[in-house]
Amino acid sequence: MAWRRLILSVLVIAPVLWLLAFGFTRDARYIHSPLLAKQAAPFTVTLFDGRQVRLEDLRGKAVFLNFWASWCTPCRAEAKDLEAAWQQIKDRNMVFLGVALQDREQDARAFLQEFNITYANGRDESGKIAVDYGVWGIPESFFIDPQGRITYKHVGGIRASLVTAKLQEAASGIVSAKEGKEDYQPIR
Amino acid sequence: MFIRLLLIAVCILVANLLPAADAPDIDEQTRAIAQELRCVVCQNLSIADSPSEMAQQMRGIVKEQLQAGKTAQEVKNFFVSKYGEWVLLAPTAQGFSLFLWVLPFVVLITGVGLALWLVRRWSAKKKTDTDSLGNPEMLIRVRSEAAKDTTVKINPEDSSPHAQLLQERARLYAEIRELEFDFQAGKLAESDYGMLKLEIENKAAVVLRQLDASSSSQPSRAKSSASQPTRQSADRREKPSRRYRGWQLAAGAAFLLLFGLTLGVVLTNSLRPRESIEDTITGDFLTGTGGGENAQLLAQGRAAFAKQDWPKAIEAFKKVLTVDPNQPEAHAYMGYILAQAGHADGAIMAFEKALAQVPNFPMALWGKGMILLREKQDYASARETLAKLVPLLPAGTERNEVEKILAELPQSATPPSQKAGVSAPSPGQQISGRITIDPQLKGRLNSGATLFIIARPAGSTKGAPLAVKKIDRPVFPLSYSLGAENVMMQGVSFSGKVTVIARIDTDGNPTTREAGDLSGDYKKNPVAVGSKNVDIVIDQVAQ
Repeated sequence: MAWRRLILSVLVIAPVLWLLAFGFTRDARYIHSPLLAKQAAPFTVTLFDGRQVRLEDLRGKAVFLNFWASWCTPCRAEAKDLEAAWQQIKDRNMVFLGVALQDREQDARAFLQEFNITYANGRDESGKIAVDYGVWGIPESFFIDPQGRITYKHVGGIRASLVTAKLQEAASGIVSAKEGKEDYQPIR
Repeated sequence: MFIRLLLIAVCILVANLLPAADAPDIDEQTRAIAQELRCVVCQNLSIADSPSEMAQQMRGIVKEQLQAGKTAQEVKNFFVSKYGEWVLLAPTAQGFSLFLWVLPFVVLITGVGLALWLVRRWSAKKKTDTDSLGNPEMLIRVRSEAAKDTTVKINPEDSSPHAQLLQERARLYAEIRELEFDFQAGKLAESDYGMLKLEIENKAAVVLRQLDASSSSQPSRAKSSASQPTRQSADRREKPSRRYRGWQLAAGAAFLLLFGLTLGVVLTNSLRPRESIEDTITGDFLTGTGGGENAQLLAQGRAAFAKQDWPKAIEAFKKVLTVDPNQPEAHAYMGYILAQAGHADGAIMAFEKALAQVPNFPMALWGKGMILLREKQDYASARETLAKLVPLLPAGTERNEVEKILAELPQSATPPSQKAGVSAPSPGQQISGRITIDPQLKGRLNSGATLFIIARPAGSTKGAPLAVKKIDRPVFPLSYSLGAENVMMQGVSFSGKVTVIARIDTDGNPTTREAGDLSGDYKKNPVAVGSKNVDIVIDQVAQ
């Protein structure tokens, strides 16, 4: 009788405790992306210099896609690192593409000028590209392999060394097991 | 012909009406779908209810896709493919999410079942107790047994339930007899007598029934209810039951204690006041987003720093640096604490350690830049440091402030604070005097000691001092002056009444007080800023 009661108590209490532990150990704000190892959504973006870039035209190259905004502090912190990384790899078969999000054109342009950003940058006016990539916090970066598959996603500021390393992996078609995370700012 | 024309007119009318009928339908459908999709930048708000820009854009996409002919399910599937199941406010009844749907019903059914079972158990118990009440056979038996006045030998030391029942029966029988006697003697009214008698008889009937039940399970007990062997057998029967009840109580208490402790620890460690609108009450605790214990220590340090509880802040940041010697934020905070204490060189070293880890760390850049500017008056280095800070700051007050400081730097060799309209300390804003040391304490003076002259607002004994002057290797007697240039917090004026003390610190850290440190205070404290001859004698030894 005592054992039956004990087992019954454990059967009732253990799931409750497990449920509590499960709730407490999750970051409710964090959204795990289902896009890793999936085909990157195609899009066309008009760059600040007037040219148009289609993602599909970049097949055969490893692509670093970065979502940013001039009002985002972690984006400012990573800006110089990204330009430095671009300078390191620009002669290789790799492409950098920045997409400004929820930003005014003049502010975005001022940001690019301030940090002497030389890689291609455009603006996602409707927010459709951001939704297509499941963006929720910026800066948010995606690494796309030459076949157009997303190999790595990083939410928050990213260092130059990680950018070059992950681009190298993308060029070889290596898909990371997990997403990366640093300081980020939620989009508006 | 007329019918044909009429048909054409109807067709045109219907064709014209269709888009008009579609429009509200799409808006309604958009709203219905939007109510099922979670806003990715809010907390538990649907994109229909959220005023955020992102939610607006998402609503636009929903509408666009509906207009393109997609079904509601296809639209939802699109968002799920981008953000995962998380984006659905109501999770699908598949896989793990199915558990979320089923669990409340399982809990509800189990709860109702448990409640019913308990109610049935209680009512069954009550029924056995109340069965005896009003039972005419039992009442007749009670009356006949009570009238017999048979004395039963009861061992008063016997505390078994059976013996207690016998005692209770004897007591109730005696009560019935006393009542009878009182009534015969005319002390009781007939109505009272009848009511009281029935009440006691009913009680006795319950006891009799319990005694019968107890005797039927142990026939030997019925034969000699007060005998020793019966008591022993009753004890044997009762003991396991008592032990079981004890075990149950102990286990219940232990579980409650453990549950309470766990909940207490988890809640006190995880919940905290929100620091901003974007913050959560659980912060980083247990979410895997923080750095564990070090992140907590860092948070403690920050909180202590904000409260100007320097010793606590130092302790927390030191612990952080023990675990992670390269933690940039801890180095930066240590830099600020050292700067407050007048250790410009130590502060610069700390800021440089932070910057070695994160070259673009705004907090360290600001600290280092300001020390180079204000304390070291090394304008070239200050300019270089602060120039690095400007691009890191978003446009706003802070950035304007740094830009203003930078703009003022090259114009002259004097500190910018003077150019910004903050006048140089005049003699009227100073306190001056002489510091001497008690001849008896001269022997205790360490050659590498540091003298701190500290001014606190009158009446304050704790917290950050108003102004501190540091003098390495002091030679006594010495003349001093304390002015606006020694004020710890930028923007705070050196005025009003202050308490002035002098302390000779052996470890060079003014925030710690160690045995052997020498100190002295101005005997007429508090003193007004502007006073002269504020002479201090070092005559106390910290124990």
